[in-house]
Amino acid sequence: MAESVLEHHEMQIQNEDDIVLVRRKARDIAQACGFDIFAVSAVTTAASELARNVWVHAGQGIAFVERLADGARSGVRVVFKDEGPGIPDVERVLSGGYSTAKSMGLGLSGSRRLVDEFSIESTVGQGTTVTFVKWTPY
Amino acid sequence: MDDHRKYMRVLKLDEAELASRRAFFEITDEDLGRLAALRPFAEKYTDAIVEQFYELLLGHPETKKFFPDAATVKRVKRSQRDYFLGLFAGKCDLAYVEDRLRVGKAHEHIGLSTKWYHGAYRKYLQLISHYLFQELNDVGKAREAVDSIQKLVSFDTALATDTYLAAKLDAIERHQAAIRELSTPVIRVHHRILLMPLVGAIDSRRANQVMDSVLLKVVEAQAKCIIIDIAGVPVVDTKVADSLVKTTAAVHLLGAETILTGITAQVARTIVQLGVDISTMHTLSRLAEGIELALSLVGKSIQSTKRTRKPSKRTVKRG
Repeated sequence: MAESVLEHHEMQIQNEDDIVLVRRKARDIAQACGFDIFAVSAVTTAASELARNVWVHAGQGIAFVERLADGARSGVRVVFKDEGPGIPDVERVLSGGYSTAKSMGLGLSGSRRLVDEFSIESTVGQGTTVTFVKWTPY
Repeated sequence: MDDHRKYMRVLKLDEAELASRRAFFEITDEDLGRLAALRPFAEKYTDAIVEQFYELLLGHPETKKFFPDAATVKRVKRSQRDYFLGLFAGKCDLAYVEDRLRVGKAHEHIGLSTKWYHGAYRKYLQLISHYLFQELNDVGKAREAVDSIQKLVSFDTALATDTYLAAKLDAIERHQAAIRELSTPVIRVHHRILLMPLVGAIDSRRANQVMDSVLLKVVEAQAKCIIIDIAGVPVVDTKVADSLVKTTAAVHLLGAETILTGITAQVARTIVQLGVDISTMHTLSRLAEGIELALSLVGKSIQSTKRTRKPSKRTVKRG
């Protein structure tokens, strides 16, 4: 894929207010890409969800929010990196309804449905990296 | 209450903290002794230094604003003399620190920002070292004296900056409390019908506050129905949805119903994609529909008045 990164923002997630800052940046970039309101909402919600996961499970982490271009398409990529406890069973978490934090357990599985590309790399005791991308339609 | 005393507590300025700060700034008893010995020098040059110091402050348009008239200038010059001589008192104890915080707080209060504070101290150091080198024939001794002054002045500016920050954080904390109080109003729409319009981001603190205030008001008003309008909530993620579902369940335990209104098309779609089940709630897109539903739940309805009707006929009647 010959995608290029047009904008790159590195944001700290250290407290609950940072979740708002990350999702606002993701929303701003989604709007800059020309997404429709449904796609903007999807990107914003996924960013909110995953930023909160970092805060709840790892206490802190970093988000990279990027604006991408790939030929005629524009896209948003958000990467969440933390050094938290990690996810022992990624498949189970992605199937939904499983939570360690007394929440709905739909954060990861739900976010995956909101975006086009979604990946999780997690090592127990070392941390987790979650990446998502959403593209404008061709 | 004296604000500077409060900041003494906020900044945890006790004997231990003072000792730790002094150690880090390397302010020794030798430094303080050296400054005390320079007291006659300080007294000799106070007027010259204070005058030149105010030439800087009054010569700059932004700092000049703080000295509107001659009386103010006279007053601050006098306190500046006391302050200057205080540097040569040979003391750096809690009383000294308290005095610095009082000065810092006073400057914060009049809106003098830290850049002027730091700039003013720069001028102090320049003037003091100029006169020290002029007065003391021994360059080595002058250098030592400047070094001691420098330590104490840095110590002072650190205290002033800390006071500024503490005062700002204090203000932010107060504003947040005010916003939180404003952000969850519960309005009585009709007998036994309440409305809570939510505006802005829902963090975990606010979600709890929404739940608490909804439950208390439902009991207090013996409400049959509470409408929660989320038209002003920018993002409905699983955390927000979760708190709404839990609030609905708790309201249900109190024998009342929750109606969720203000759901935009994009929020509806996002909730479904997330896989969140909010089927336990009555949901409607418009607040007006929510009010109609609420009225029907308490056995009332809105009817249009026709001209043929008697004027005494009530618009809202029992069903």
